[in-house]
Amino acid sequence: MKTTAANTNVVDSSVTARRQMVYELVSGGTGLVLALFMWGHIVLVGSILTGERGFNWMATMLEDYYIAQPTVAAIFAIFIVHAIFASRKIPAQLQERRRMIELAKGLNQSGREKVPSRRDNSPFVPHLESMLWIWQVRTGMVILVIGSFHLILLGIDVFTPLFGEHPGIESTTSMARVAAGLWLPYAVLLLCVEFHASVGLYRLAVKWGSDFLPHRRYLHRIEQVIFWLILGVGALTLLVLAGLVAPPLEFLLGEVSS
Amino acid sequence: MIDSAIRRLRFEIFRYNPEDPESKPHIDTFEIDERPYMTLYMALSEIRETQDPGLQFDFACRSAICGSCGMMVNGRPALGCRTLTADLPEEIRLHPLPAFKLIGDLSVDTGTWFREMAERTEAWIHERLPFDKDAEEQRMSDDIAAAIYEGDRCIECGCCVASCGAANINEEFLAAAGLNRIARFMMDPRDGRTDTDWFEVVAGPEGVFGCVGMMACADVCPKELPLLDVYAYLRRRTLGTKIATGGSPSE
Repeated sequence: MKTTAANTNVVDSSVTARRQMVYELVSGGTGLVLALFMWGHIVLVGSILTGERGFNWMATMLEDYYIAQPTVAAIFAIFIVHAIFASRKIPAQLQERRRMIELAKGLNQSGREKVPSRRDNSPFVPHLESMLWIWQVRTGMVILVIGSFHLILLGIDVFTPLFGEHPGIESTTSMARVAAGLWLPYAVLLLCVEFHASVGLYRLAVKWGSDFLPHRRYLHRIEQVIFWLILGVGALTLLVLAGLVAPPLEFLLGEVSS
Repeated sequence: MIDSAIRRLRFEIFRYNPEDPESKPHIDTFEIDERPYMTLYMALSEIRETQDPGLQFDFACRSAICGSCGMMVNGRPALGCRTLTADLPEEIRLHPLPAFKLIGDLSVDTGTWFREMAERTEAWIHERLPFDKDAEEQRMSDDIAAAIYEGDRCIECGCCVASCGAANINEEFLAAAGLNRIARFMMDPRDGRTDTDWFEVVAGPEGVFGCVGMMACADVCPKELPLLDVYAYLRRRTLGTKIATGGSPSE
């Protein structure tokens, strides 16, 4: 395409603008996919709540039909793309990050003092979302480290016979690992992921649909319910994996005949 | 607050005069007795009259319409004239709005920022057709008129800009005030600019995709403008835009 000197500038800035739009769509889109995947993930790992048989049946089924292998690879790729594109909004300079944290803390603290004469419609109410953004950045960093480790570990499980007896996820290996101490990074990862994902979905909904969705007060309430629900199921799953709690849903699969 | 004991308010006020080479940024403390229905405007005037005539702060209308008295009140941007001390604890910290050039103490230059924003966004109607005095006036639906009016209620106080994480670290960012202005013209059927014309400003690095989503702008806005709705509207509207290519930028 030929461009004259006069309009090169115009073209460049609209190309830059289009790039910004694509970045935003990529970071939001990958975030949405990952957050929705995490809901599915909790159901898959949650199969341990029905006991080791259920867990192994789920794992073997997903591997035999070649669902698990491409999913692990695809999620790892989306995870990296999300990290690259979502982190573009984190300020590079420490001074800028301090400025944002200071601002968010100020907005979050305002209105927390007990003032007997304060009116019901006082504008001084704590502002949460600025601080949620700061915590999303922080949890994102934690997820990048522990999540990468977890994804690599699962990649090894699914593709190689290195851990366990054959390639694939096995309940004995997983439970032994979690009981041996992996529960700690996994507990941190669970908390960070569920927080990051639910706040991310809430922010995404407000960013793109604030004018037609229910008021964001309700969206935030829904987000909180989802967060605690998934966190609860996740924590229980982790306890069962660590062998500290007996699988509560084992009765669903009936008695073992052997 | 009618018959309870009168509170003694303690103001911690940021002081600095950039014009004076001797001046160093510091905090001064003033104490005054609270009076019924006292606003920050009244309190600051009393401090200036009785304790420090050199205290700089801006006020004009005292009724939340001129937009000159925006300041950080205990960490939150608010208008001094419509903030009642009764809503605040006894310790009141006042700072100038960040993201704007400091004139001195609590006074900042919001005018230059808004002028530059208005020039960048060409915040005036670009007529579709030459004016014809004999033609009947173009009609507009009530919904659009109301939406435009809603956006036009902005008083340019700068509270949204001061509360914006992105605007605090990128002085070029258009922020809620700028994007609200753009949305107002994009909605206006009298304005001849197409989405393609707007695209590079709205979707550019300083436009709507520069927003990090802290959502403070809408919560601190003294006029309670639906700023998050404006952002969502602009985000979706940019999606379908055909961008200008080499030969015909106006196409």
